[in-house]
Amino acid sequence: MDSPVQTSTLHLDRPFRLDSGDIIRGLTVAYETYGEPNSARDNAILIEHALSGSAHAAFFHRGDPKPGWWDAMIGPGKAFDTDRYFVICSNVLGGCNGTSGPSSRNPATGKPYALSFPPVSIRDMVEVQRMLLAHLGIERLRSIAGGSMGGMQALQFFADYPSLFDSFICIASTMRHSAQQIAFNEVGRRAVMADPRWNGGDYYGDVPPEGGLSVARMIGHITYISEKMMQEKFGRLRKGKDDRAVFRPSFEVEHYLDYQGIAFVRRFDANSYLYITSAIDNFDLVSSISGANRCRGENRARGTGIDAMRKKKGLVISFTSDWLYPTQQSHDIVRFFSGLNASVSFAEIETDHGHDAFLTDIEGQTLIIRSFLDALIP
Amino acid sequence: MIPEQTHSIIEQWIEPESRVLDLGCGDGSLLSRLVRDRRVEGIGVEISQDMIVKCLANGISVYQADIDRGLSQWDDLSFDFVILNATLQVIHRPHGLINEMLRVGRSAIISVSNFGFVRNRIRVFFDGRISREVRITGSWHNTPVIRFVSLEEFLHSLHEMDIDIVDARYFLPWGGVMKTRAVLDNLLVKGAVFMLKRET
Repeated sequence: MDSPVQTSTLHLDRPFRLDSGDIIRGLTVAYETYGEPNSARDNAILIEHALSGSAHAAFFHRGDPKPGWWDAMIGPGKAFDTDRYFVICSNVLGGCNGTSGPSSRNPATGKPYALSFPPVSIRDMVEVQRMLLAHLGIERLRSIAGGSMGGMQALQFFADYPSLFDSFICIASTMRHSAQQIAFNEVGRRAVMADPRWNGGDYYGDVPPEGGLSVARMIGHITYISEKMMQEKFGRLRKGKDDRAVFRPSFEVEHYLDYQGIAFVRRFDANSYLYITSAIDNFDLVSSISGANRCRGENRARGTGIDAMRKKKGLVISFTSDWLYPTQQSHDIVRFFSGLNASVSFAEIETDHGHDAFLTDIEGQTLIIRSFLDALIP
Repeated sequence: MIPEQTHSIIEQWIEPESRVLDLGCGDGSLLSRLVRDRRVEGIGVEISQDMIVKCLANGISVYQADIDRGLSQWDDLSFDFVILNATLQVIHRPHGLINEMLRVGRSAIISVSNFGFVRNRIRVFFDGRISREVRITGSWHNTPVIRFVSLEEFLHSLHEMDIDIVDARYFLPWGGVMKTRAVLDNLLVKGAVFMLKRET
């Protein structure tokens, strides 16, 4: 596919009801597709993005030298082979890259929602994608795959609608955040909210809380890579040594984090950061599929879904140096889905790249995922 | 012991549609056979990523783990059969693992290569070294094969651990197979495969 791809938008006419009961009117969903559906329309794979991702998962947009966020994994001959699979990726609910979120215009007021946007959950994100699949005429998917928060969506969607999927692929993720994971996210949110420019979420049309959001992203980036990688990459190297101003970044690692922070505020909305990290922290797969007040999914209570999971396949991947989503959390995922009679495989990839390995360690993931997908062929 | 010979005996022992865990499953060929011919629900365990990829390509569900670190991932009696085929010789803590196998499974199936077999003894006696056949790959310092156990010693271990032999096959050179022990078997048997249960 040499020609550029573009993001499409689905406009939902009817009000969208969230799991909390809140309603969103005029919902929009940004999505991209790569490859073609086969005649049986059973070769679709849904890709789920992580915290800061977008619908632009692969290939190039016209005039943009940077490809989509998982381009190394999606394309002809790649892990998700677009010559064989119809690959779909959409921006999550609450995001800021085309799908409705706090920076979207509220049709009732004509102004951005800001904090009047209802809180969203991982389940709400996948429900929106269910609407998208219906729109695309896809009734059965070969697989659903994602890393980090993308893995959470994959687990939630698969657990809610097992008969929709032949398999799931969950990379560097968890069924629920630990106290430490919540703590890191909370520090990030506090950094945003402590910035006076945040202004209770009402900053649209003004300067956004760039300082706070970039600090949040800097904290994130510390957790995304391993200590060893950081040490090897930066050590105690310095840059710009004849700078006389005190407390100006001088270590390489400071410049790196600074760069990451600034790059992030240019492309991400601070309120979306708050909404999405909260959705991640509140995500708890086990209680969400067994809860009494459950109103979504094929099976209202845990236990009745077991037959639907029989013969379904799962693939869980973790990375040895990922201390943000440690391997034990992947073990727990395998254990849980095996208990529901799914047939789940597990691989732990040896790497120094930490959590970000799901974006950077392509070779190992490609071998594993390709073999897994190949064997699914009916 | 030819793999084919062991595989077909294991296949006879495995009940149709049972749940099977295969420790050190390699490329998944035994499990593939059991899935195809016995319709088992099987999962393999492997430490090597190359083998993980091969298992997945064969459609076998596989779990990457070091079985020497226990089977804590699985609940008590989650399997009907737990297999340890052609793998015992690389295990650091065999007693611990056998106990784990009989915790997570109703039955354990273990194949053993007999170090007391006459040919191995002759090799040690004349060459003063362990044969390449026993060591499988590498030299003394880097072969994964670290356990050299005789049939006699293995059976003694089972007795010590209060484990019952439900069924057994003893392999003779030139293709012969016995179902029960015989005179001088520690000298004449190349290897054996056992179906084991915890004494009740």
